Amino acid sequence: MFNEMYQSESVIRNHYNNINDWLDQMTSKVILEKNAEAETHFRNIGITFSTNNETSRERIIPFDLIPRIFTYTEWLRLERGVIQRAKALNAFLADIYNQGEIIKANIIPKEIIYKKKSFEPSMFGFSPPRDIYSPIIGIDLVRTGPNDYFVLEDNCRTPSGVSYMLENREIMMRMFPDLFHNNRVTPIDDYPTRLLQTLMSLAPIKCENPEPVCVLLTPGPLNSAYYEHSFLSDQMGIEMVESTDLFVEGKYLYMKTVDGPKRVDVVYRRIDDDFLDPLCFNPQSVIGIPGIMDVYRTGGVNICSAPGVGIADDKAIYIYVPEMIKFYLGEQPILDNVETWNCEKEQELKYVLDNINKLVVKEVDGSGGYGMLIGPKSSKSTIDEFKTKLSTNPKGYIAQPLLDLSFSPTLIKNQVEGRRVDLRPFCLIGEQAQLSSGGLTRVAMNEGSFVVNSSQGGGVKDTWVLAE
Amino acid sequence: MLSRTAEYLYWISRYMERAETTARLLDVGYRMSLFPNPSGYNNEWESVLSAAGAIEGYKNKYDTIEQKNVEDYLFFDESNPSSVYNCILNARNNALVVRTSFTPESWLAINKTYQEILNLKEKKFIKSDLPDLTEWTIEQVNLFRGSLSSLLRNDGYNFLFLGLFIERADNSARLLDVKYFVLLPKPQYVGGNIDNMQWSILLRSLSSFRAFRWAYDGNITATKIADFLVLNNNCPRSLSFCIQNIVKHLTNLTCSPEKVGRIYNNLKDLNTKIQEEKIETIVEYGLHQFVTQFIRKISSVDNEIHKEFFN
Repeated sequence: MFNEMYQSESVIRNHYNNINDWLDQMTSKVILEKNAEAETHFRNIGITFSTNNETSRERIIPFDLIPRIFTYTEWLRLERGVIQRAKALNAFLADIYNQGEIIKANIIPKEIIYKKKSFEPSMFGFSPPRDIYSPIIGIDLVRTGPNDYFVLEDNCRTPSGVSYMLENREIMMRMFPDLFHNNRVTPIDDYPTRLLQTLMSLAPIKCENPEPVCVLLTPGPLNSAYYEHSFLSDQMGIEMVESTDLFVEGKYLYMKTVDGPKRVDVVYRRIDDDFLDPLCFNPQSVIGIPGIMDVYRTGGVNICSAPGVGIADDKAIYIYVPEMIKFYLGEQPILDNVETWNCEKEQELKYVLDNINKLVVKEVDGSGGYGMLIGPKSSKSTIDEFKTKLSTNPKGYIAQPLLDLSFSPTLIKNQVEGRRVDLRPFCLIGEQAQLSSGGLTRVAMNEGSFVVNSSQGGGVKDTWVLAE
Repeated sequence: MLSRTAEYLYWISRYMERAETTARLLDVGYRMSLFPNPSGYNNEWESVLSAAGAIEGYKNKYDTIEQKNVEDYLFFDESNPSSVYNCILNARNNALVVRTSFTPESWLAINKTYQEILNLKEKKFIKSDLPDLTEWTIEQVNLFRGSLSSLLRNDGYNFLFLGLFIERADNSARLLDVKYFVLLPKPQYVGGNIDNMQWSILLRSLSSFRAFRWAYDGNITATKIADFLVLNNNCPRSLSFCIQNIVKHLTNLTCSPEKVGRIYNNLKDLNTKIQEEKIETIVEYGLHQFVTQFIRKISSVDNEIHKEFFN
């Protein structure tokens, strides 16, 4: 068991000393006040979840006051590892939508790729600007020891959570300015600027504008990440559009403005492939911009991330990422994958069924901590239920060992207790590749829980990277 | 600026303005309910309802007109499109979409208001709370308006204020119309209790009760009040003040001069007329007719703004 703050029961890790002193002098009353202040702040700025039920109050994610801290050296390794992975994933996408070298080299079987729903045939033979398919990648990491990090999953489509990373820092700086006087915390507030630079560096070939016009495309206020959409577009100073604001004319994409049509060069889309273009994808879709794919393929606009990137973060492809790193970059992977059994393969399925009470079983298409079995923590009847599911639909599942996620000190009812955490840093790839100096730390607020997802009682923390 | 953004900004300030008008009307009703009813005089709450344009909706829901129900209907009722709650809800939902187009303070002002009205609604209210609710609403709307002062003076700003003055012009005109009969000099009523009360209702609901006293010397007369509310350019609720500001914010728009030109052409006659008119002429012509025409004109300007800019 690894604790982020305590080296042993009585020894605090050096980089947590300041936080420990700070915790010691905080009274219960102050903790209560600050918790209430944070909640009010999050409500007021509107960093909330929409719920389908309009009459109920919007939910906010529990925020824990104790930051999670990385030393400069620890972070350096994560940074290199995440960027390496993000580069390999983009190289993989460029490869499978063009030459397919990795398939020819017999590293990944072709049926795993071409038969996936997330593989987008219409992307075949097309290369987006700079060959960047997924410019914003969120990598979910867990830690089990001082130097042991594992990648749980890659998020190549439209990873969310970065607004929490930024707002968590804002509220911490506002509530505890002294903490930031006494600790050298690397700032993260330039993330939106870097995101915009990244998007602008990915202008399509036909763009003549030295400052390409970027927009953020949102599904609308009912989307659960809507706050993030408006927050990011505000911070970047770009328009947040819905698909009805956009239209195609000739070989270009335009937005409807009070001045008349205005050309759009880069679309940072936060909607799924299915809803991009009813002419190309889902004809039933009422949202979407008819003809946008045509403009995209002829270089009139860039869509970030590219349609069809979902194949790269597919759970069945995840297994091959270390191989990709070696194949495309000629490097050894810096961050490890979690050992994963692909239930599609008969032998592996057998192993999973035999050892199910030691494993975590996940749906291939699942997310948000739903549809998941944690073997060691489940009752016999739930396990039996999953065994049946696995046998009838082995393709739909993978299994992994239960990792002993690190503990981070967390305030539970005014007491400091250890709770398990993960981390999602955000990697940007455009003209250059860079990692946010921090990320979103999610914490399983329930005692003993391994599930950090906000839909399942997870909370968030500010994440510090100490300067050199 | 996106057409949709312009439209949402325009409506945010319309809703906030409407929330204030509704709250002020409630306050008027509340004050009147504390006075003894003059004999032969109608239920004041009915007059409040009709001034708010909510009488029909109310009667569909309730059989009798009672203060408690009127308060609830005008302040909290989700089925009344002009209830303070709905105005704030709509303003907030629009603001959520266009928060990038105004300052963080404006968003905070609206969103805090929304969070607070949810709390108020949960707790509901007891009778004596009504003045607090009104005061609260006016405060919130003022916070919002104040936050606008730090906005960039761009088209977004002008659309916000176009919405505000279109709504105010409409609200003022409707209030005048509902009460127009009090301004008709009928010798048998002049100076009577009813008149004084009605006048004070009108002035209070337009937040101009004290301003009127400062603006005009001598006795309160129907003509003076009509002049104040229709033609006085110093009165921020008068029809002429609203029109002046609509013209100002319209012509300040930098986008699409030809669209601005078309709308302005439709508006300029009314503007010239209202700046030159004498109140005596209007009263002679018929205040009711004048106001009806005015409302129609404002509505057509509103339609044109939608057609030209928001489609």
